[in-house]
Amino acid sequence: MEDNHEEVLEIFCQDGVQILTAPAAYISQLNNVGTLMIVEYPNSNVTRCIEWKPIDLTIDSDVQDQEWTVVSTVRRRRTYSGSLPVDANRSKHLKINMSDIKSFRVARKNQKLTFRDGKGDDLCTFVFQHGSCEGLVAVLKGILKTFVSRRDKHVYCILDDERNPERQQLDKSFAELNLFQEQSSPYVWKLVKNFQNRPYETTMEAFSKITDIVYRGAEHRLMDPEVHNILHRSLEAIENNTTTHSHEEYEVIAHVPKLPALKEYPRGRPLSLEQWKALQDSEGQVEDVDAVKLVIFRGGIASNVRKEVWKYLLDYHRWKYTHSEQANLIKQRNEEYFIMKLQWRSMTKIQEDNFTDYRERKSLIEKDVNRTDRTLDYFAGDNNPNLQVLYDILMTYAMYNFDLGYVQGMSDLLSPILYLMNNEVEAFWCFVGFMNKVSSNFDMDQAGMKEQLQHLNTLTAFYDPEFANYLYKHDSANMFFCFRWLLVWFKRELSQQDAMRLWEVLWTDLPCQNFHLLICVAILDTEKHILMENNYGFTEILKHINDLSGNIDVSAVIGKAEGMYNQIVDAEHLTDAVRIIIGLPILGNASVIDSKEASPDISDLTLNGDTDEVSYENALTNSFL
Amino acid sequence: MANRTSAAQRPNGSTQGKICQFKLVLLGESAVGKSSLVLRFVKGQFHEYQESTIGAAFLTQTVCLDDTTVKFEIWDTAGQERYHSLAPMYYRGAQAAIVVYDITNQDTFARAKTWVKELQRQASPNIVIALAGNKQDLANKRMVEYEEAQAHAEENGLLFMETSAKTAMNVNDIFLAIAKKLPKNEQTTGPGGSGQGRRLVEGDSGAKAAGNCCK
Repeated sequence: MEDNHEEVLEIFCQDGVQILTAPAAYISQLNNVGTLMIVEYPNSNVTRCIEWKPIDLTIDSDVQDQEWTVVSTVRRRRTYSGSLPVDANRSKHLKINMSDIKSFRVARKNQKLTFRDGKGDDLCTFVFQHGSCEGLVAVLKGILKTFVSRRDKHVYCILDDERNPERQQLDKSFAELNLFQEQSSPYVWKLVKNFQNRPYETTMEAFSKITDIVYRGAEHRLMDPEVHNILHRSLEAIENNTTTHSHEEYEVIAHVPKLPALKEYPRGRPLSLEQWKALQDSEGQVEDVDAVKLVIFRGGIASNVRKEVWKYLLDYHRWKYTHSEQANLIKQRNEEYFIMKLQWRSMTKIQEDNFTDYRERKSLIEKDVNRTDRTLDYFAGDNNPNLQVLYDILMTYAMYNFDLGYVQGMSDLLSPILYLMNNEVEAFWCFVGFMNKVSSNFDMDQAGMKEQLQHLNTLTAFYDPEFANYLYKHDSANMFFCFRWLLVWFKRELSQQDAMRLWEVLWTDLPCQNFHLLICVAILDTEKHILMENNYGFTEILKHINDLSGNIDVSAVIGKAEGMYNQIVDAEHLTDAVRIIIGLPILGNASVIDSKEASPDISDLTLNGDTDEVSYENALTNSFL
Repeated sequence: MANRTSAAQRPNGSTQGKICQFKLVLLGESAVGKSSLVLRFVKGQFHEYQESTIGAAFLTQTVCLDDTTVKFEIWDTAGQERYHSLAPMYYRGAQAAIVVYDITNQDTFARAKTWVKELQRQASPNIVIALAGNKQDLANKRMVEYEEAQAHAEENGLLFMETSAKTAMNVNDIFLAIAKKLPKNEQTTGPGGSGQGRRLVEGDSGAKAAGNCCK
């Protein structure tokens, strides 16, 4: 047990550290900024802890502008009455036993560090707002036996030998070494100045060893401007990543592995009527479904056979059914449809008055039918009968799936289907097939949308860390600007013909599941230069992305997305998080694997950071996530 | 009727006037005319069958007010209840809100009242809220009385106007009334906006303004 008056040894201390994830007990502190410490309790059986405490400081422009954050690796003795976390502020002080930490992961150019337990679950994640975690990592490497995970270069696994006496000895000698005493700093500055005379490439090793001390804090901020400059440039060089300067012990952990080159894939010819006929046997069964899908993936479907093939892609017709089986199914589906339709059509006025949920759905459908694709000839003009069909199908769908009911966006998904089928029952069942693929887009709690945005972030971070970092720094890592793309599968961005082409390609589930997310990545890759060159923030990005509507070349985007898929699959550093998204088997390294690893940034969900800081994120975490 | 001015086009070097930038959010039940009000205000257009808003739209418009140029950053939102959980994203940090209802539909007025309550509870404490009874051109199908809405607005300290995006009635006026009510001469108290706009240095590209307000 800890004594009341306990000696505490501070091994490391850094301020400007934000908590991104933490155990449930500390939830009130999420996103707050504070001081991170490694603390040793020599008289306790829990010898070492990672501790974090908030600073009582809302926003201070000095802190915001601070270029040099206070980091101390010098051991200091403190004595508390009562151990640190046990006080009125207990819930604010986070404390994690070092022995519970089995690995840690460094991400986002050394600005983010996640501690994990033995099961690979996150214990807590910290963001180093004004500096990097390099100093902390160096200390951790010094006091713990670590090795770099083979699966993920950013993960350091900790050898579990806390109780090993030899280990204790090692710790002690490390402590006595006390490498960076106050007195050493003049020496260090001299050394740094000498860098000018030697190319820093050749001295990177020496340099990396002093990065700990560089961040020494306020008392050292009066450093020689020359020194400041050199250091600053050199640190940037490290952050901007070079793969050549890694050293066994002081590896450049911001290293970004390269993807294979992008090869754009030319699009093929659409599935023709002749091809389609040839792929069916005399009974109407489609033997080689994969071959059909491959042709569709490569080039879509010719308009004269599209209506027929969509019924298969949308599970209204069955690939393996004979003509007579198909006819039976159609008959059955037909009857089923009219039974459901009759259910709402036969509702009396009194029933309706007593049925609020029904009335609400009905009212929503009325409102949206009236304003769905009215610029298209098929739905244009007053009293257009096709609007009535659109309405009837949506009402019947609300009876078919009452829990889901009607949600805005659904009429957009139905409109092209109805246009193509031009038949109420066929359109209904095809719509059901489409909804089965995307119903999670319309979850009451937005869970499906959140997951996709998160996956999109993971893919972006993997494909283009620089762009992902840009989005993160511009409060846009939530990818919210892609909400409309994902909700209605680009329906609002494309002409009707192009939307239909894209949808049929996506319905093949080729070359992988969630290919629509790669479509997003492909479009963003085309636009990122504009976003970054103009230094767009969240609102400007959203506006720019919304304004792309009507200016997307769907064939080029599909071809590019396919090329990106191949780049990703061929990448040597392909992570399990990405594998999960695109449906590849995971490699499963138990100690460090978790599906969250590469998708950290969604938890940083922020908006319009111009005026709002940390509190914003809290609100969003509560409201959106 | 107020004029909509495209201001802030002074030649470089002019020292007259100050520019303030405010975040404004539109809230209200589905299909009450939120997007139509914005479209009328920003582009002077009206579409009879304005499509539903998915996610959010972001537009800007600038109005001149005496010697001040007020730039509105307008967030237009999806109205359906299903997307309610996204709303705090939009109204956090907003200095102004227009809560819209449809005068031909009593339910939308009830929904507007709950939006007002939510804003008063959750948004920035000094947020300027305006209540807009839209579709005034359909007054012959009126289900919400002017007096009823006005009384509610008075009780809650809201600006109130009946508007018509279709005829443009009171559309610019309601934005202008908000611009007048927004504080333009106090120091900001910190992040979160708490009611003040941000001063833009003229020639500044916009978004990255200093934390100070007009002075």
